Amino acid sequence: MLKMTRRAFLKVGSGLTAAAVAAPKLLGAMENDLGGKDFSPETLAERKVIPITCHVCNIQDGALAFVENDRIVKLEGNPEHVSTRGRLCAKGNAGMWHSYDPDRILYPLKRAGARGEGKWKRITWDEALEEIAQKLNAAIKEDPNTIMLKWGRNRSGGALPRFMHTLGSGTIVNHTSVCESSKKIGMEPTWGPDIETPDFANAKYILNFGSNILEAAYFHNPMSQRITEGLAENNAKLVTFDVRLSNSAGRSDEWIPVFPGTDGAVALAMGQVILREDLHDAEFIETWTNVSVAELKQHYQQFTPEWAAKLSGVPVDTIERIAREFATTKPATLFTYRGPAKHLYGSYNEKACMMLPIITGNIEKRGGYCLPRGMGWPQPQPEPPKPGKPSYLSNPPDYPLAGHKVSHLTPFWIAEGKQKINVYFTYQDNPVYTNPGAQAVWGKLFRDEKLIPFYVSMSPVMGEETALADIILPDCPYLERWEPESMPNSLWPWLGIRQPVIKPLGESRENRMILRDIVWKLDPTGSRGMKQYWQFKDGEDYMRHHFDNIPKLKQDGGLEWLKKHGVWPVYGKLDARTGKITDKTGREIQAEYGLHLKELPAADLAGTAVDKNGVVSKNGKVVGIKRQGKIRVGFPTHNRLINVRVDEWAKYGFNPMPTFKQIPWHKTMAEDDLILTTYKINVHKQSRTASVKWLAEIMHTNPVWMNTETGRALGIKTGDLVRIESGVGHMVTKAYVFEGIHPKVVAIPTAFGHWEYGRLAQLKQREQPGGAWGASADADLDNNVWWDDKGVHPNAIIPVVADPIGGSQGWYDTVVKVTKAGPNDKYGDVQASWEKHAEAFKETLRYAYTGDLHRTMHPEMAAGGGPASVKPKTGGGH
Amino acid sequence: MGMIAAKEVPPALSGEEARQDCLARANVYRLLAGALVEEPGADYLRALRVPENLAMLRELGVTFDADFAEPAPEILQEALACEYTALFVAPGGCPAVESARLTGRFQQEPLYAVRAFYRRAGFALRPGRFAVFDDQLGVELSFVAELLERAAAALADNDLPGYARLDKDIKRFWALHLGRWVRGYSRLLERAAAHSFYREIAKLLRGFAAHELDLLGVRVEDAGGDDPLKTEIPDPVDATEPGCGGCKVAQAHV
Repeated sequence: MLKMTRRAFLKVGSGLTAAAVAAPKLLGAMENDLGGKDFSPETLAERKVIPITCHVCNIQDGALAFVENDRIVKLEGNPEHVSTRGRLCAKGNAGMWHSYDPDRILYPLKRAGARGEGKWKRITWDEALEEIAQKLNAAIKEDPNTIMLKWGRNRSGGALPRFMHTLGSGTIVNHTSVCESSKKIGMEPTWGPDIETPDFANAKYILNFGSNILEAAYFHNPMSQRITEGLAENNAKLVTFDVRLSNSAGRSDEWIPVFPGTDGAVALAMGQVILREDLHDAEFIETWTNVSVAELKQHYQQFTPEWAAKLSGVPVDTIERIAREFATTKPATLFTYRGPAKHLYGSYNEKACMMLPIITGNIEKRGGYCLPRGMGWPQPQPEPPKPGKPSYLSNPPDYPLAGHKVSHLTPFWIAEGKQKINVYFTYQDNPVYTNPGAQAVWGKLFRDEKLIPFYVSMSPVMGEETALADIILPDCPYLERWEPESMPNSLWPWLGIRQPVIKPLGESRENRMILRDIVWKLDPTGSRGMKQYWQFKDGEDYMRHHFDNIPKLKQDGGLEWLKKHGVWPVYGKLDARTGKITDKTGREIQAEYGLHLKELPAADLAGTAVDKNGVVSKNGKVVGIKRQGKIRVGFPTHNRLINVRVDEWAKYGFNPMPTFKQIPWHKTMAEDDLILTTYKINVHKQSRTASVKWLAEIMHTNPVWMNTETGRALGIKTGDLVRIESGVGHMVTKAYVFEGIHPKVVAIPTAFGHWEYGRLAQLKQREQPGGAWGASADADLDNNVWWDDKGVHPNAIIPVVADPIGGSQGWYDTVVKVTKAGPNDKYGDVQASWEKHAEAFKETLRYAYTGDLHRTMHPEMAAGGGPASVKPKTGGGH
Repeated sequence: MGMIAAKEVPPALSGEEARQDCLARANVYRLLAGALVEEPGADYLRALRVPENLAMLRELGVTFDADFAEPAPEILQEALACEYTALFVAPGGCPAVESARLTGRFQQEPLYAVRAFYRRAGFALRPGRFAVFDDQLGVELSFVAELLERAAAALADNDLPGYARLDKDIKRFWALHLGRWVRGYSRLLERAAAHSFYREIAKLLRGFAAHELDLLGVRVEDAGGDDPLKTEIPDPVDATEPGCGGCKVAQAHV
């Protein structure tokens, strides 16, 4: 008789693992085996599949939409996609909600009351276009630059700038300064591109500064897969520096809490350790950078671990140990996202971090820190010329190095009259929610009919910004439109497509059609020279102009290939068992490394000239660099090298070498002051997911995280109401007290606390008895919204800060006081004032290169001539 | 205030009376559709505001306030255009669309089922001033009006099998579609409307729906029910009890 005690059972169970593993596995997950197919559980009929590129967030995952009886019933990953390999996150799985959202705008609407009053009248497209054309004609006559377009997310493949250039306007503003512009500016002058592609899957050591890559960031789906492979299959060590225990930090081998904004100091100190102990890759530095080892050692001497420990709170021995581990474990890679960059002087932080793989020679190695690989596509011809007159808002003279603009300072510049605006277009941009100051700044701007006389929102949803518009043009959600796509989110470049899975609902139109229709209204006969740039029938026709002009793709079938597969090229087949893309032999496809080492073909060498530094030019254009006796492609910079020293920065009195600047107001913090940071989570975007039920079910509120010690000192426990006060306002929310956050930091996730965006985001169905607000008899929306807390949004109390180099908003710099809520404080209170935000604006300008604090912050550049010595720069752009 | 009595069952009608009945009912459907399918037009409002017509409606228990009777035509039309947008078009209203009402989403099974119904009956939807969903309430009401007019024509031709087929289609349409949502929806609309026009139209819709269902002998449950609206029923879940990891405490991570 068997003695089935629990102890015996467990012993047998664990002891026979080898046998268990060896037993044949006949059952596999259906999704893996189906690999791109789906069947109705009711009728067993195969569902129609349409490949697309997801656009709930900006990672641009390959996806498949399954259609049954003309309805989108399911979304899954595209197994043919080399980057995301058949996986799709929760946000992508819920994408059909955007199309079927009962609060979606389906017709043009015209404001019928005051701005923001919520009174609308439905109008026809003709009426809308007529009114917009009238306003545009008047604006063009006065000055085309008084027409402004600001976008949040632009995946139009070139259509938005084409529109503005057609109108002759240069007042084109993006959102990048509230995103990661200082990361871009830290990287671009250094090695060319604005992002890295770490080869996580093959790394043995991964340093993560300030990213929550397993959950958010660029590019969390493909990268989290590769990190997991690196950890599980390669036994890689993952070390995360972060102010809080994010999901990525929680899955790391080490989570090292770091004082906000000091990642750069830690990275510099690590570099100092590596250089002083001769753990660097001298050959790489001497061959591929514009500094020598001697120069670098000399420069890095000042960045001692003791210095960094004092600033960051990271112990000296930890800095030294991690430095040694990183330098001696090969291959090693590094990733940063927003933690280092979103500060005053975030560009310096970013640069300091990227120096680590440079110093250790882990660049473009298998398992290392690699250049991004992406693909472009040609534009339909002809293209309108770029406007001749620059716009202040696109090229703010106080920030000449901020090539991605400083969009979050726009309201103050408009208020100061730096750029008059007659017509303001917004597209996939919700600064009233997403920007510092939020409703106190952008809400006030949009309500001011003197500053913004005419405001048009192209949007399918009533977001906080759209609610203040004069005319709303119903745009399509992503499952209903055409767009070309590519993202550098894998070591294999790819081109993708977004194509309509269903026809646009109601009278919504995809954005390029809206823009075309406006232009056709302005120039119906073509006599004004505008219509020639918009000669296409529909979105599909526009795509043909893009994709049928790429030779290799055209050979494979051009647009028709992309419509069938969703992505090009298809590098191999997804192995359902391993989750990897395999070639015909069944082995995982291998990436190409060492892109900078590629030699120029002999045929291209004719007519080239090589200067004393080895830079190879042809017809006045730099085409390569001579290194190790061969003419190689090098890095995509002006001199084909990695520019450790960025001479252009010195022109404006910034330090051209890697450095660190402590945030001045952090030096003067009171003992009980804390720093407020924000973060993103995996199931929501800032705005676009607010109305999606499946995602709101997972997470719908956002208490403020604080450390147990902090809570104890303040007498606050989890669930208590707290008041958070900054220099520009205050808010009242609930606390979540635990150990997983730096004791000097409080953190609030964004994506909650909406006051527009439909019934779910606002919980409107609970406001009126009988569910009058958009009620349905659907049990899911009627009864299964069990929560009554929509969260509290912090952005109104976060002041503007601008990195004087990269232009980034200093999201993680705000000093706050946190106390228990007072007797008059209510949950959800948020108060901030334009006046206080305007003072913050003036303060941040003092750190611009034209400001009075610039030289104070850069005593090492005292020999420079100052702003008067700088020739005006017309500015870059992105 | 008298309303169309739900239990009133008219006696069996002669051929001509039945034909007149079909036409009269069709007109009521069209009256309701005219208010709901898009913003009421000038001609529609002019006809409705004829004193005799207002008096007839009052007999039914439909009484508009001064906000309907008094303003100049263009002012009234503008006001109703804004009210229409607030109720049916802009977020914050209650779209008069079967899919939205029954599933909480646009363009779901009801739309395709309704479209198939129209197609079988030989109809296809044409856009009016605006494109509209097949399962929009005004369209569904217009469809029944069309069937009734055809039924009247069948009776005029003494085509009793034809009439019977059409009568069956009307019953099926109420059983499968209108009957499942119109009564609950009209109660919601009555509460949500700020302008008396839509308040009273909603009242008329509710009463007429009940009348039609009785007349047709169709028994179907409205998703909104004849009972108090679901959201007025006390939530059976005690929100103060801990649940699913503590929504009340903090939901920091998945």
